Amino acid sequence: MIPILAWRNLWRNPTRTLVLIGAIALGVWAGLFMTGFATGMIKSYISNAIDQIVSHIQVHHPNFSEDQDVKFRLDQPDQHAAKIAEKEEVKAVVVRTLATGMISSAKGARGIRVKGISPAEESKVTGLDQKIVEGEYLAGKRKNEILISRALAEKLKVKIRSKLVLNMQDLEGEITPAAFRVVGIFHTGNKPFDEGHVFVQRKDLNRLLTLTSEGRIDPTTLGHEIALLLHDTKNIPAIQSAMAQPDWKVENYKEISPDLELYESQMGFVSTIYLSIIMLALTFGIINTMLMAVLERIRELGMLMGIGMNKLKVFLMIMLEAIFLGAVAAPIGLALGSLTIYFLGQSGLDLSMYSDSLEMYGMSPVVYFDVPSKVYWQIPVFVACTAILAALYPAYKAIKLKPVEAIRKI
Amino acid sequence: MDVIKTQGVTKVYNPDKIPVYALNGVDINIEQGEFTAIVGPSGSGKTTLLNIIGGLDRPSDGEVFVGGQDISQLSDNQLIDFRKEYIGFVFQAYNLIPVLTAKENVEFVMLLQKRSKEERDQRVKELMDSVGLSDKLDSRPAQLSGGQQQRVAVARALAPKPTFILADEPTANLDSKSTENLLDIMARLNKEENMTFVFSTHDQRVIDRARRVVTLVDGKISHDERRD
Repeated sequence: MIPILAWRNLWRNPTRTLVLIGAIALGVWAGLFMTGFATGMIKSYISNAIDQIVSHIQVHHPNFSEDQDVKFRLDQPDQHAAKIAEKEEVKAVVVRTLATGMISSAKGARGIRVKGISPAEESKVTGLDQKIVEGEYLAGKRKNEILISRALAEKLKVKIRSKLVLNMQDLEGEITPAAFRVVGIFHTGNKPFDEGHVFVQRKDLNRLLTLTSEGRIDPTTLGHEIALLLHDTKNIPAIQSAMAQPDWKVENYKEISPDLELYESQMGFVSTIYLSIIMLALTFGIINTMLMAVLERIRELGMLMGIGMNKLKVFLMIMLEAIFLGAVAAPIGLALGSLTIYFLGQSGLDLSMYSDSLEMYGMSPVVYFDVPSKVYWQIPVFVACTAILAALYPAYKAIKLKPVEAIRKI
Repeated sequence: MDVIKTQGVTKVYNPDKIPVYALNGVDINIEQGEFTAIVGPSGSGKTTLLNIIGGLDRPSDGEVFVGGQDISQLSDNQLIDFRKEYIGFVFQAYNLIPVLTAKENVEFVMLLQKRSKEERDQRVKELMDSVGLSDKLDSRPAQLSGGQQQRVAVARALAPKPTFILADEPTANLDSKSTENLLDIMARLNKEENMTFVFSTHDQRVIDRARRVVTLVDGKISHDERRD
């Protein structure tokens, strides 16, 4: 009878109950929406970083990451890369030669990171060929082809077939100048990356860097970075440990870019933070409504205790009223939220109007909403806790009533 | 046998400031099967006496025995259980639970007593027949007239088979016809089931039907008339 009584009590004032149910459902929906948006943004940031910059695993000379000096190169990187590529967990491998230098056009100059790549392998790891917006991908038709980003092209005021001069340090620390011709312009959507990187054929870069005072070092052996993309991130630790060598620094994407680990760990908290804030606000709404419901029923509650309903049952009745509120509202909010997440997960939320700002942070202008599955059970728990917490005070008020005084209340 | 016995019951409000004596040494014995009206002017202490006898309020001094048990010694929770088992209440403003049907209102205390469904159904049917509302079982209080609501309240008070019924001005909100009807029902239940009724009332029609009239003035019994 107590659950029946609690349920019917809830509908004494249908408008008030519906407003509160709407508020809780809206809160749940907002929690899902915000979680979906934030998770989508974070995932976009992480996947963009993995796809464009860090891959899943990178191998360098142990000293390379400190000052990025070209002399800290890997020993026989191509042979090792070929072996790594044989592992079934590995999706793609690329060996890169890296150099730091200055790029100049007739209109300007900038400090730049030069990536010497094997175009076919690079396209498998970073999909760089898909990001060409003008001109063509490195085809090797002629020597010293270069890909630059649209952002850099605008800054240097160059276009397809323009000539650029790269000044880089070679293995002996000497400055080596070379002229390159722009064959393609790329756009990754990550502005800092785009402005700071150019791509050339690895063989062209190696030819420039391997000329020493004692003759030329075999240009095919020069490489500073092996980047791997795996089929499944779950295999990262196993592959990482299998690749360990004394003269190699094998790092996963979280080690290379600790901000990615930070963001990834935040994905677990984001829903908790949003839901906590929303539910805290709702707590006051529920307290207010439940308190009103108790105060306008003082005489009846006094009568109930008068005819023999003990305080525990009165307390339970008020708590149940709040729990029922949540039990009706949460599924509505979850259903609406799930539909929203499904829709925006498929089509994405187009924020192109803010694309400049988003690209500054390496994020895509279209955010594909995503909600971790645990959030779907977190929400009912949050709503139940909120309802219980919010009903405590009104229920306490109810059991503190003295029947003889309550019955006399008008 | 005394169903209710009070000894020197006193109730003082504001004892530390300006003491107001609602009851001032009330001794009363009520036996099984009595049909007693407690009368008196407003402020004479009728409702206070009823509340104290019913365990809704505690005396400032004195003792209250119900069925031989001193209820002034019981804790709040023990009093709630005591009321549930031994006392039926009929309030002036009916005080039915508006979200429950007449049937559910009547069986409510029996549910608190954990009586079986068969027993509840049988008792509800019996009582609703008895108060002439067997066709209103599924009506909510708002769908019933004042007289009908008060008859449901009487059925509710009788449902747990209490030792006695306390009725605080039960006819105050009823018209003449409903009052007569209610009094007929209560008189019949008193006669047929030997149920003890104690009323507080101003209503001459109730006073006329009572077999004992206890008059309170300024918190003291000024007159006790038996009409048997």
